[in-house]
Amino acid sequence: MAAANTTAAGTATAAPAPAAPAAPVQVPRGQVDLVDFIDWTGVECLNQDPSHSIVNALKQTLRDDEGLHLASDSDEQLLIYIPFMQVVKLHSALFKGPEEEGPKTVKLFSNKEHMGFSNVNDYPPSDTLDLSADHLVENKPATLKYVKFQNVRSLTIFIEDNQSGSDVTKIHKIALYGTT
Amino acid sequence: MVLEVRRATCRRFSLPNSDLRLISSPRRGFPLQATMICIDNSEWMRNGDYAPSRFQAQADAVNLICGAKTQSNPENTVGVMTMAGKGVRVLVTPTSDLGKILACMHGLEVGAEANLAAAIQVAQLALKHRQNKRQQQRIIAFIGSPVKYDKKVLETIGKKLKKNNVALDIVDFGESDDEKPEKLEALIAAVNSNDSSHIVHVPPGDNALSDVLLSTPIFTGEEGGSGFAASAAAAAATGASGFEFGVDPNVDPELALALRLSMEEERARQEAIAKKAAEDTENKDHASSSNNDSVMAEAEPATNAADDDKKEQPKDDDDLLQQALAMSMEGGSSGSASVADAAMAEAGAVDPDLALALQMSVQDANMSSDSDMSKVFEDRSFVTSILNSLPGVDPNDPSVKDLLASLHGQGEVRSFLFLS
Repeated sequence: MAAANTTAAGTATAAPAPAAPAAPVQVPRGQVDLVDFIDWTGVECLNQDPSHSIVNALKQTLRDDEGLHLASDSDEQLLIYIPFMQVVKLHSALFKGPEEEGPKTVKLFSNKEHMGFSNVNDYPPSDTLDLSADHLVENKPATLKYVKFQNVRSLTIFIEDNQSGSDVTKIHKIALYGTT
Repeated sequence: MVLEVRRATCRRFSLPNSDLRLISSPRRGFPLQATMICIDNSEWMRNGDYAPSRFQAQADAVNLICGAKTQSNPENTVGVMTMAGKGVRVLVTPTSDLGKILACMHGLEVGAEANLAAAIQVAQLALKHRQNKRQQQRIIAFIGSPVKYDKKVLETIGKKLKKNNVALDIVDFGESDDEKPEKLEALIAAVNSNDSSHIVHVPPGDNALSDVLLSTPIFTGEEGGSGFAASAAAAAATGASGFEFGVDPNVDPELALALRLSMEEERARQEAIAKKAAEDTENKDHASSSNNDSVMAEAEPATNAADDDKKEQPKDDDDLLQQALAMSMEGGSSGSASVADAAMAEAGAVDPDLALALQMSVQDANMSSDSDMSKVFEDRSFVTSILNSLPGVDPNDPSVKDLLASLHGQGEVRSFLFLS
């Protein structure tokens, strides 16, 4: 059933976007965009470039602006902490970024507060995504292990490396889909 | 203590509680911060080119910084650790208790070499395990000995700090060789994000280390908070308050006005108390009793004289207190009788029972012994007003009653019970 869902979501999003990268995103059926449930006072991002901060990738209006993106600072890793205002169920996540500097290995942790780069590898992630250029450019949401994200109060996204291995990781948009 | 007065002021002037957050939020000085101070107590600190010795100058500066940070925001925490001596060790984990911080500086020994890299790592760890995760992390390092690491290593350290969102302030003093300022500047450049990290070079000279630091961003914080932090720091150094009540009227006119009004009302009330020595029941009913508590507690000569922004107030209260004391000890029975008479005349109009009690107390006072101290205790109104002002002392507590009984004798306890 999960596989059928994935293909259904895949075709739904791929169909209206033949070649143009800026095609509208189809929200997976039965899911909502969880951006309205994000508790903005608690959103944190470690190792972000101050002039290219997390709001550029998360906030409703800024994330669709092609000129704004989230960039990493000292090295290519990023640690994003997103608390929600209520308990949600996560279905899929969409990452949009440039082909070269976009994220590659993404680890998601559910309900782990205040992690740091030093202890991020101490816990097993709730899910690991290996993003390809497809995901980043074609507006294709990556489906998550639904059973692991049934009771999510906060989400920590650890971006371990990027597509080309460069020093800076850039992300144009992060969208989370699910239900409440 | 400042927070108490502010809360009482809020209640008094009907400000909603959400405004309390505004009032106590650090719009000036330091935002919510957890700081670890790394002290250099290596052999190089024995040198006397900073008066009285490098180590002592450093200790004074540390005391000043701790004071400024905790005053600027009561939720700020500061921790202290050594870089040399017995080794890199944390003396006190980040706490807002200024006394603890000052106590740990006592008896520190000077010796060995400073290990900067290990110290910064340990400081990072201490900050990582802070209790309030909302606090920004900051390390202040006093580097007085030569730096033996090369630039690359320092830059890596700096990057790691930046990655973990830790700001770094460096005080470069003591030993100076050609490369030290450069290396430290490189370190700060690597850590710096958005101007959060600073470096200060202090050459040896006449000015004390702490005085030089007062005008630097290390002291004044990042939010242009020169008003409060600088005046608090200046007050600590020179003993004179920059602004009345320590609040800049330009920055926060409502708070300044509210504080001034409650101060004036306090003064008026203190004078009334001094005149009517037996009016302790009214004190309890007074709406700003908690305000009174904090103000009176300060007036006690024994309390901490380092509370800068109320410095003017204790002096005035002391004067009033002296007057009250003088009046109660004045002459033999005539003094106390006249006070009691004045009190009786007013209180008698209000409450005949009270008048009776006062009469009994005056009689007992006349029969007392000669010593001054017992006369003070005999002036019951004075004692009860003191007791009421002490936070946590309930005059109806049986142990307190027993104590008074032992001081006055039985007859007076009865009248005291009556009064309370």
